[in-house]
Amino acid sequence: MNKRQLPEDPMIRRLVQQARQSQVTRRTVLAGAGASAAALALAACTPGGSKPKFTSPADTSATDKTLTWANWALYLDQDADGKYPTLVEFEKQSGIKVKYDVAVDDNNTYYAKVKDQLALGQDIGADTVCLTDWMASRLINLGYTQKLDHAKIPNIKNLNPNLRNVDFDKGRNYSLPWQSGFAGLAWNKDKIPNGLKQVSDLWDPALKGRVGVLSEMRDTMGLIMLEQGVDISSKGWGDAEFTKAIDEFQKQVKSGQIRNIKGNSYADDLKNEDTLAAIVWSGDVTSINAEVGSEKFGFAIPETGGTLWSDNYLIPIGSPRKANAEKLINYYYDPTVAATVAAYVNYITPVAGAKEAMQSIDPTLAENQLIFPNESTLATVKGFRTLTNAEQSKYSAQFEAVGLGA
Amino acid sequence: MAIAALAGPTVTQEAPRKKSRIALVLLLPGIFYLVLFFIVPFISLVITSLQVPSETNFGQFDTAFNWQTYVDVVGQYSTQILRSFFFALLATVFALLFSYPLAYFIGVKARRWPLLQGLMLVLVIAPFFISFLLRTLAWKQILSDEGFVVSALKALSVLGPQDHITGTPVAVVFGLTYNFIPFMCLPLYTTLERLDVRYLEASNDLYAGPFATFRKVTIPLSLPGIVSGTLLTFIPAAGDYVNASSEFLGGSSSTMMGNVIQSNFLVQLNYPAAAALSIILMAIILVIVSAYVRRSGTDDLL
Amino acid sequence: MVAGSFAEAGADLELVGLHKRFPGFTAIDDLSLTVPAGSFFALLGPSGCGKTTTLRLVAGLEEPTSGQVLIGGKDVTGMKPFQRPVNTVFQSYALFPHMTVIENVAFGLRRRKVGDPVGKAHEALRLVELDHLAARKPLQLSGGQQQRVALARAVVNRPALLLLDEPLGALDLKLRRQMQLELKTIQTEVGLTFVHVTHDQEEAMTMADTVAVMNKGAIEQMGAPEELYELPKTVFVANFLGQSNLFTGPVVESTADTIAVDIAGTRIVVPNSRAQVHTGTVTVGVRPEKLSLLMENPVAVAGQNVIGPGRVIDVSFSGVSTQYIVEVPRLGSMVCFAQNMVFGPVANLGAQVWLSWMVDHGFGLADVAEQAGAKQIGTAEDLTALDSEAVV
Repeated sequence: MNKRQLPEDPMIRRLVQQARQSQVTRRTVLAGAGASAAALALAACTPGGSKPKFTSPADTSATDKTLTWANWALYLDQDADGKYPTLVEFEKQSGIKVKYDVAVDDNNTYYAKVKDQLALGQDIGADTVCLTDWMASRLINLGYTQKLDHAKIPNIKNLNPNLRNVDFDKGRNYSLPWQSGFAGLAWNKDKIPNGLKQVSDLWDPALKGRVGVLSEMRDTMGLIMLEQGVDISSKGWGDAEFTKAIDEFQKQVKSGQIRNIKGNSYADDLKNEDTLAAIVWSGDVTSINAEVGSEKFGFAIPETGGTLWSDNYLIPIGSPRKANAEKLINYYYDPTVAATVAAYVNYITPVAGAKEAMQSIDPTLAENQLIFPNESTLATVKGFRTLTNAEQSKYSAQFEAVGLGA
Repeated sequence: MAIAALAGPTVTQEAPRKKSRIALVLLLPGIFYLVLFFIVPFISLVITSLQVPSETNFGQFDTAFNWQTYVDVVGQYSTQILRSFFFALLATVFALLFSYPLAYFIGVKARRWPLLQGLMLVLVIAPFFISFLLRTLAWKQILSDEGFVVSALKALSVLGPQDHITGTPVAVVFGLTYNFIPFMCLPLYTTLERLDVRYLEASNDLYAGPFATFRKVTIPLSLPGIVSGTLLTFIPAAGDYVNASSEFLGGSSSTMMGNVIQSNFLVQLNYPAAAALSIILMAIILVIVSAYVRRSGTDDLL
Repeated sequence: MVAGSFAEAGADLELVGLHKRFPGFTAIDDLSLTVPAGSFFALLGPSGCGKTTTLRLVAGLEEPTSGQVLIGGKDVTGMKPFQRPVNTVFQSYALFPHMTVIENVAFGLRRRKVGDPVGKAHEALRLVELDHLAARKPLQLSGGQQQRVALARAVVNRPALLLLDEPLGALDLKLRRQMQLELKTIQTEVGLTFVHVTHDQEEAMTMADTVAVMNKGAIEQMGAPEELYELPKTVFVANFLGQSNLFTGPVVESTADTIAVDIAGTRIVVPNSRAQVHTGTVTVGVRPEKLSLLMENPVAVAGQNVIGPGRVIDVSFSGVSTQYIVEVPRLGSMVCFAQNMVFGPVANLGAQVWLSWMVDHGFGLADVAEQAGAKQIGTAEDLTALDSEAVV
């Protein structure tokens, strides 16, 4: 691997490191395309077979001033009326009516829902969607996304230059980061006044049946593996390490220590106190606290380390409103807008200059480690290394089997 | 449709020849519907269940004849398969025990007060007006650890200090029972509503007390309602994945077949396994139901 | 569980001061009667007279508002139907559709844990000559067969009291006549007490030892069929049981043996012993078949009443007899049955005739008819359609 000098900004450096480890390259895909003629013939009639030769539909953005944005819950600034102020502002500026669709609860389930339309090059009911690195990588490699026109996203200049060359999308032709974040520990301060410091604190018998974990395998397994001393970002681990973590996970599920394995809906369990402690995504805790109206829930990156990930804007292949989507992306790459969103969702913004913009919005947030993490915070988190296809299938099956009690 | 065919003696009377062409025309939409929405997807399902993962394309599957998938899923998920039918059976029994007295009251006792009858029927049907998912979510809130139900049960020492309801088999069976009560209640009501009370009087007159009358006359006469009610409850309950889902009332100790299929299909992207499980689910239901209908179709059931 | 003995012979039934009020109306108003053991008792009355309600009170299917029901001297008023030594043959038969004929018949025996229920059930089916259909379902039988199964199902229990609630109502005329004879034969054979409810006066008279005519929740008159027919005591009985020619007028003469009533100038004499009331305005009557149709004004004879002349306004031939309707000025129309002793009618339509009858054949009623003259009472068949007496 060609070692390049890492960028100065610690957060960017971390993200770049993570992106470099992406193993799915164009070469892999081309190898797949070069398979036997029979396989190609078969693939032709099988949805999503081989590298599809899609042509994106004609862009009707000029006349069709609408846009659907599929995203995760608690991922955009929201006021008391349930409106999204930055989005309202965008609609006013652009004249584009945006449907913000909280449709993503989990990368896998979202993918399963839309993959058949994607494979046929059809509209999936979303003009842009934010998905996590590994899923973004899969979609780009399958040719399910449209190429971004950088000329139409002038604010792309605000994306830290070093983030333009992630391995799964060199030059960011198909994806742009929306937010980044950590997976760590959250707890109910009323019930657990002393807080949680490490993953094994979740296994406290006092919390039996009141613990939730994420259905995002890389986050839940990542945290457990980190505690077991595995550097999840390195290629140095394999089946043995993963299985060891699965064993621990299984033990906690079987014993009833872990109550729930969920996507974004874990927030409901924390709120109704079915779970008192959970593995969660960093920014959500702020949003949940805002919803309950008090600083009821605490968040910490485990001492043994948390995970770091990014969710990325993608424009699905079937969308006829690419230009509208690009306008939206451009708008959110404005540092002030990015800072406004970050101040609400408490995730890490990829927009350079947002920290400065934040100074004028809320100076204390400019120092918030969940939004603008410093060197020492970033030293505690790791990106989950890219899995080979075989690993992906195998590990996913292992992880799911635990959840199903099988 | 298969159930109806199994239900009773086949009517072999042939329609007059002249009418058969009209009958065929009238049947066409139904046949078309069945072919398009049942036969074709079913064949596709069978083909999928026999596929093998593509060696070259990740996430794709190649056509094959790999019946090993069936062996694998039965081996791996036998607990969940058995649990599905056990839970469905429990839910059916509980729904029947709950619905029968209710339907009896509405259909027989309340005959004198049509207004009360109507009101109670509305109360039974009213939950249908609210989404099934919302109702289940509402129960999840009601039964949550800090909710009043759990608090009350803990205060009464029915539940231990560390016990909870959501995420347990109890919650799942409860949810299934609750959600399918209208499906049980309405067929029961329609048969009981037509129950001729003169048979009950005759039974009373012939020295049968209330219990014997119920067992020997009321139950056999309402058997059609019991059979359709239990089928309408058991079949969807066995395949239900909402109640047992961890997003709702279930947890990893109460996973049912529907959840296994969902996981294999949506998360693991293991389509052959999901398809094989679906076919197994269908086959088991078909066997159980046909055995049940045949048995209850004869008069010596009781 | 089942109280009461199941005697080989029937028990007597006694109703004491029975009242039954439903919201809005009184079905039974102070009913008292005694049915002797082993008799065939008929409760006769039109729809809504309370006869079925009476039967249901005896069976225990209704609770009386007040009063007592005694069977064999034992008060069963508070007992549930299944505790009473009573069985009913229902109007609808109420054969259990999900059981075979034999299981229907054995039902009561099984409930009482009587030994060999199937054997006894076959015996009862042989009695009604249906043993060969034992394995059928009730719905596979004809109406008459179902009726007989219902009878067997009740009789097989040898109840102290067998209640029959218009069991022949649904059968056609010929079958009904046949079943009436069979029922009577069976009653004689098994020696049970039968209480038979019907609105068919002919049926009641054919079968019963004692007939009670019910009207508006009370018994109008009770007695042997001939007695009721020959000497009705009320307008209702006179008209409901057969047909009557009735006349209303003041008593104008009273001797030791007879009273004479003036009907618009015509004197009609009735024996004192056959008149319920001897002074004031009374209604007197005579049965149509007691009348003689005369073509000439007869010579006045003691012991005969004569009215006329009148005009024949209708002649209807019915085989055995011919019915003439005679319009007599100021008296109204009268009905006369004449046996067909000769071919063809004695008097033709429009002929002038006189009517006479023996004084001893007349009767005087306790109450006064609203309208003088003959009154046509609907036949049993007409009433069947109206009979919706069953109270849920």
